[in-house]
Amino acid sequence: MSFDVSLILSALPKMLMGIGLTFQLLILSGVLGLMLAIVLMLMRISGKWYLSWPAQVYIYVFRGTPILVQIFIVYYGFPQLDFIRDSFLWPIFRDPFGCATVALTLNTGAYVSEILRGGVLGVDRGVLEAGEALGLNPRQRFTYLTTPIAARLALPAYGNDVISLLKSTALASTITLADMTGIARTLVAQTYAPYEIFISLAIVYMIITFLIQKLMARIERWLGRYTVRTS
Amino acid sequence: MTGSTPLIRMEHVGKHFGTFKALNDINLEVTKGERIVVCGPSGSGKSTMIRCINRLEKHDEGRIFIGDIELTDKLKDLNAVRREVGMVFQSFNLFPHMTILKNLMLAQKLVRKTPKAEARDVAMHYLERVKIPEQADKYPIQMSGGQQQRVAIARALCMKPEVMLFDEPTSALDPEMINEVLEVMTDLAKDGMTMICVTHEMGFARSVADRVIFMDAGEIVEEGTPETFFSAPKSERTKLFLSQILSH
Amino acid sequence: MDVLSGWWDDFFWGSVVVAQVFLASLVLMVIFGLIGAAAKLSGSRIAQKIANGYTIVFRGTPEILVILLLYFGSAITLTAIAQLFNPEIKFLDVPPFWAGTIAIALIVGSYATETFRGAFLGVKPGSIEAAHALGMNTLQVFIYVRVPEMWRLALPAFGNHMLSLIKDTALISIIGLNETLFVAKQAMGATGEPFVMYITVGAIYLGFSTVITLSVMALEHFGSRHMRAET
Repeated sequence: MSFDVSLILSALPKMLMGIGLTFQLLILSGVLGLMLAIVLMLMRISGKWYLSWPAQVYIYVFRGTPILVQIFIVYYGFPQLDFIRDSFLWPIFRDPFGCATVALTLNTGAYVSEILRGGVLGVDRGVLEAGEALGLNPRQRFTYLTTPIAARLALPAYGNDVISLLKSTALASTITLADMTGIARTLVAQTYAPYEIFISLAIVYMIITFLIQKLMARIERWLGRYTVRTS
Repeated sequence: MTGSTPLIRMEHVGKHFGTFKALNDINLEVTKGERIVVCGPSGSGKSTMIRCINRLEKHDEGRIFIGDIELTDKLKDLNAVRREVGMVFQSFNLFPHMTILKNLMLAQKLVRKTPKAEARDVAMHYLERVKIPEQADKYPIQMSGGQQQRVAIARALCMKPEVMLFDEPTSALDPEMINEVLEVMTDLAKDGMTMICVTHEMGFARSVADRVIFMDAGEIVEEGTPETFFSAPKSERTKLFLSQILSH
Repeated sequence: MDVLSGWWDDFFWGSVVVAQVFLASLVLMVIFGLIGAAAKLSGSRIAQKIANGYTIVFRGTPEILVILLLYFGSAITLTAIAQLFNPEIKFLDVPPFWAGTIAIALIVGSYATETFRGAFLGVKPGSIEAAHALGMNTLQVFIYVRVPEMWRLALPAFGNHMLSLIKDTALISIIGLNETLFVAKQAMGATGEPFVMYITVGAIYLGFSTVITLSVMALEHFGSRHMRAET
């Protein structure tokens, strides 16, 4: 048993062939999940029980079960249901990429909606009252005051969730997708060199994580420019 | 009640928070140009009273009129009433994510539908009146408390309100900043602005107020001109309050 | 629910495995977290560097990769060592139970490191100074002032770490641990009813999550009793 550097050099390019798929999963389910999260958050803070209740149940179920189980339900379970096979959505659920995207979206949406809600609840009540006293209607207060302030407050936690999502994309390999992790697993099965292959892949993920953190810090600085005392 | 209709009229107004009676049978008329100072111990209902006037709180007994319009749940355009009533808060409540200029322009554009260029001119005009036009592009956090409160006053004035409400505007300020805010308020009074100020600044009350109102336990206990209020208070509660507040 | 008959006991024993993994990894996670926090707070730069490396690696690498690496890596190492003594041995592995338990404890422990560190630093210096001023020694201050206050500060995040652990147990099925998800896969093969099987797994995990959430809520209620006004 030894650490084979030439094996890493030949395996890395192969694994990086999957980086496109990793990023497709990350970006697609990240964007769709954010949209879902906004809807869920608005339902939760609507003050109407018939909206907030379903949202709460949804969030509870998706945060209370493993993402891997959710992926398997979508991938193995859904095709068994006739109304899905007969619907226009079938092409999505027939395709492992579609299933992975749907499961990751549904999952991250639940987490992010809670993060956004935390941001909205963190907005200073006095600021909203000032808007009210100036005659801004509820919609205007939400658009011009709550949204920008809440976005700034929610950003650090949101960044962490994007990183969680990146790590979850690796689970797509369990439903036959050849993302970076999927390729690595195939290579390990062929070469039986888990150390070389998995460690070098871990480093690739860490680099991506680092870049996401940098990007988030930059957005945070830009959104939070009003929180700095010196001009 | 002679002459024109009062600007603000409160009739037998009451307000509960749960079982706590915050306001009890409040009767008050404010005519145009009048300057009123409201004082009283904390928890006496002063803030609640003025918050009812622009409906940040809903009263649950009696009636409140702004001009000819009554504040009720049925009122369609509450915001049309609110833009006639300017409000200044104890903790300034500037919009933290906007520059000073944008703070002053936002409601003009959204509520008054003022064109952008005009809104900017109005904003700069009032920033000059509160003597900080050079700070227009700063964010609130970059200013002192006194400056922030002056901006908050300018922001309310930009809506060209009929009446200004002040809810303890100097209570959150460091002592050396209180005067700059009181000066702005005094200037405003000289220009004939109708004002209701909840404050413990008795010097301000003496020099500016037409009428001083003393509240305790949700009721108006006593009211009068500053001269009679300070030199010859009638009720025991007023005397006790004045002795406590003037002793330091 | 006819399709489930005959599988109830398998799901039951699978749940027992989930509970065992959870409890074992909980203990390890607390140990890793406390060691990590102690290292980060220690004066030693080397200890700080190692702890920082630990948190960066395990927070930036997909969970599945850590589990695969630990399992296959340890297997190849063990096999190599065993072959030194007995060349007949073809394959020797650390049981998936322990490889998986250690893997998820390491992962969640890296998050717990930050939680414990934050809680330790979050104790108000005022109460510590006051305790010293009253003549309490360092150990007494630690036991009577720091720990109770730390505990209250760390509990909400610690509850989330426990939820992460329980959900991460599902990932260990990938290396062959016969927990509920593994049972579902076998049941799916035998019955051709993936939907019901995976929904069952989801329900089991939701049950575990609920028990954990309720326990944490009860503990929080107890831990913050001094923060409430008398009623």
